[in-house]
Amino acid sequence: MIVRPVQMTDLPALLALARSAGPGFTSLPANEERLTLRVRWAQRTFAGQVERADADYLFVLEDDDQQVIGVSALAGAVGLREPWYNYRVGLTVNTSADLGIRRQIPTLFLNNEMTGQSEICSLFLRPDQRQGHNGRLLSVARLLFVAEFPHLFGEKLIAELRGSADEHGCSPFWDSLGRHFFKMDFSHADHLSGLGNKSFIAELMPRQPLYTCLLTEQAQAVIGKAHQNAEPARRILCNEGFAHKGYIDIFDGGPVIEAQVSKIRAVRNSQSLDLMVGTPDDNAPLWLIHNQRLENCRITAARARLVGNSLLVDRLTAKRLQLQAGSSVRAVPLLKQQQQAVAA
Amino acid sequence: MLALRPVQLSDLTQLQQLARDSLVGVTSLPDDTERLRQKILASCASFASDVKSQGPENYFFVLEDLAGQRLLGCSEVLATAGFNEPFYSLRNRPFTSESRELNIHHGVPALSLCQDLSAHTLLRGFHINTELERTPSSEMLSRARLMFIAAHPQRFSDAVITEIVGYSSDTGESPFWDALGKHFFDLPYVEAERLCGLQNRSFLAELMPHYPIYVPMLPQSAQACIGRIHPDGQEAFDILEREGFETNSYIDLFDGGPTLFARTPSIRSIAQTRTAVARLSSHSGGKTPYLLSNDSLENYRAIVAELDWSADEPVMLDATQLDALQLDNGGPVRLIAL
Repeated sequence: MIVRPVQMTDLPALLALARSAGPGFTSLPANEERLTLRVRWAQRTFAGQVERADADYLFVLEDDDQQVIGVSALAGAVGLREPWYNYRVGLTVNTSADLGIRRQIPTLFLNNEMTGQSEICSLFLRPDQRQGHNGRLLSVARLLFVAEFPHLFGEKLIAELRGSADEHGCSPFWDSLGRHFFKMDFSHADHLSGLGNKSFIAELMPRQPLYTCLLTEQAQAVIGKAHQNAEPARRILCNEGFAHKGYIDIFDGGPVIEAQVSKIRAVRNSQSLDLMVGTPDDNAPLWLIHNQRLENCRITAARARLVGNSLLVDRLTAKRLQLQAGSSVRAVPLLKQQQQAVAA
Repeated sequence: MLALRPVQLSDLTQLQQLARDSLVGVTSLPDDTERLRQKILASCASFASDVKSQGPENYFFVLEDLAGQRLLGCSEVLATAGFNEPFYSLRNRPFTSESRELNIHHGVPALSLCQDLSAHTLLRGFHINTELERTPSSEMLSRARLMFIAAHPQRFSDAVITEIVGYSSDTGESPFWDALGKHFFDLPYVEAERLCGLQNRSFLAELMPHYPIYVPMLPQSAQACIGRIHPDGQEAFDILEREGFETNSYIDLFDGGPTLFARTPSIRSIAQTRTAVARLSSHSGGKTPYLLSNDSLENYRAIVAELDWSADEPVMLDATQLDALQLDNGGPVRLIAL
């Protein structure tokens, strides 16, 4: 398995993935024309031809038979071309000393505070491939990429996790709030959002803060709650140091999780090492390894041993990384637990 | 015979009984002796003061059965809403959602706390004995306030408003309150209204929602209360509506009851009121009921009488009527057909 930049030849595979992901996965529409544009743009991004505001690093996960089985992406920055909106779940305190009344009312404040931060997004792994460390590799590879090229990204990475919805895809948060201002159902709004109309939609929302006590109980209950399908993604990122700090999606109320780049485990603990080719033992820990290239980026997960300032990997791993012994790599233990083992 | 006159301190005991019987939403009539005493004293001072321009004056009237000296109702006019303490309402206006790109344009009604109605003259505290509801006496209790304004325009604003008590159930539940105010006050509706009558209303400002409330986000039962009148408030509403008052986009922040508004000069009992000379006559009486008043301040009186009167002629009244109006033979009387 390797994670690498998307190529034009991946288009049929991407379309197949988009179809199996369904309409809920708005950032990867099953539309050939739009996917073509996105792939072309990603190629220009990896070639360093676009500004950070427009950068779209689209990766694919490919197995050893050159089959594309998943995608994930990194946006250089959000909100620099069009406004990026979130709600912050804040607090209004109501007190009257005379009456002995004290009320704490969680209140939603519309804001653009994530402007300029980088976003990790568009992760989809083929259902039959959701096993082993595939999901982790596809997700965390992006963090290692950021570790290698921090100047291409913002101070923070954010991820908007899909919010809680019922079995029909209806969002209680949307039904209690957004629907009143758009007069359309969630899937339609979500679709427009995927077409890039997100800020237009946001502009229909009221600017003033909203008292959550006036939302339905169902809506209040899902504020900041990720959809169960987003739970694995959330767990992986939270293990890397991401946390929910009160920002939510304005449509479905899903959590925005965030981390300072410098504090992300895969960034902070990654190191530049020399590649040594040999035979790591079967008990060697799994490492996430990046070939330190931008346009020809290759990232893989493999058993490896730290030997002084070198990382011992097998020949296949070196081949996957398109590297020879003696080349330099950026690497970090794939799992947090192994991190401790390595340190010990 | 029933007559309307300014309240006096000796009315306190009877007034408190009226206050006890009044609607929960009539917060200007608290069932509290000390508070009522203050109100009476403030009213006496208002009638006595030499007012050049409208201020904090509150004119408090009572309806008295002259035979038994029994009080059967009361009503008030506050010269300037919001003069001494803030006067809050909820403004119901659409928030416009617009996107040219998405071809969407619509208004979402939103309630915003405001003090827009400050500086208007406020009619309030209308309460009448149930036996007298929908009689010429209840008409007088409400409209004599307008005749008073007609006689003393410099004491009042050029616009008059009133808040009609909004819907609540027999058990004192207000769906509007339960959906809105309760979240912010943490009190039952009846208790909130009671405090509102007793306390300085500044507690409202401390506790009310300062950000807009979007109407579609409220439960249906609460939305249905916006502008809805309490059944017992219907008469107060009907009388003033006939006077030319209209509902506007303001509602009460506790129960969602409507606010009525009129430009002072166009109010019927002000625009169409006439003055004539009162004459003592043994041939008084007639077929048309009229509302009559003198133009005094502290000795202000109003009665209902049946007359045959044509404009520019003296008004023939018997001795009891003249006496009830505290007029001498030949004095000026103000009148309008009921």
